[in-house]
Amino acid sequence: MAHENGQERTTILKKVAKATKVPAFLGICIGITAGLIQALIGFGGDGAGGPVAYGFCVACHTRDMTNTLVNAFFGAALFAALPVLTLVGLYIGGRGSAHQQKEFRIKKSKWHVYLFYTLGGIGVMVFALFLGGCPYRAALRVGYGDLTALIGILGIIGGVAVGAVLIFKYLQNPVFRRDA
Amino acid sequence: MAEGWIPGDIALILVPVITLGLGLLIGYLAQRSGFCSIGGFRDLFLFKQTRLFFGYMALIAFSFIGYLIFWLIAPHIIDGFYWSANQANPFKPIPGSIPGLSVASYVILALVGGFGMGFLGVILGGCPLRQVVMASEGNRKSIFFVLGMSIGAIIYHGFILGLVQGWFIAAGLGAG
Repeated sequence: MAHENGQERTTILKKVAKATKVPAFLGICIGITAGLIQALIGFGGDGAGGPVAYGFCVACHTRDMTNTLVNAFFGAALFAALPVLTLVGLYIGGRGSAHQQKEFRIKKSKWHVYLFYTLGGIGVMVFALFLGGCPYRAALRVGYGDLTALIGILGIIGGVAVGAVLIFKYLQNPVFRRDA
Repeated sequence: MAEGWIPGDIALILVPVITLGLGLLIGYLAQRSGFCSIGGFRDLFLFKQTRLFFGYMALIAFSFIGYLIFWLIAPHIIDGFYWSANQANPFKPIPGSIPGLSVASYVILALVGGFGMGFLGVILGGCPLRQVVMASEGNRKSIFFVLGMSIGAIIYHGFILGLVQGWFIAAGLGAG
């Protein structure tokens, strides 16, 4: 009997482990926790601070973390909404999962690829801050009822379409390949 | 007005802890599933694959459901849910965006920002979240991407913000 129970539990665990590999599961998780976090902390207005629909954003939270550090160490006065550590959590969480899945592999590239990606990071950050968030916060803002973010997502779709055509044309160029 | 369930001064201390925990959870799940928003649109356009695309659609749908649930429980915290519907200006700027511009300029900025982010994201092989996860998988060039994002934040708030604001006001798109 106990043996059967154990077997049942392992099949349930396997089902849960399989469900976490579906991207839609993560989408549901981010959506619900974003609401929960806002209920806990209370963004906007006179709460602890930060704009509304601010539960999860890679670009904005990186901006906040960087600007908080720069302000603290160099005495600058750059805008930072909240002292967040999302980026650190993402890195540690992803690294833990990568080790667990045995997918952790150091991939080195040439220096000009590094330069290309650094400049790309600067560009993506500037464009993301024009829109007021990375694609994730744009999705949260659409869920919150913000029309500007919906226009931003239409812009993302247009940009991806143009980029996808370019990728299709220049797939042979190693710079554009994912494993370059 | 918009204070959460945790009192304001305690919440300010707890913000790093809560966001760190949320980051751990999302980073773990994102590595397992390969979640990527820009990659979702790319796979849809190039390969007609809908796996990642449905992930992003689920994010939009469930962010609405999540906010709706907590709006029903505590309407005073989910301040201004249906954001556009109850503002005098439906394209109200969010904190951190360029101040003192008109409605048209925020639409232009959102379109330009979205287009640039989608284009660069497709060229570089992933949206910001995917790049951070790839960095945690040991991909050196993604680490440089994240470094570039940090530099970009400093450049934006120190330099580009005022410059672009000047351009828009010179083009007659200032507020008022």
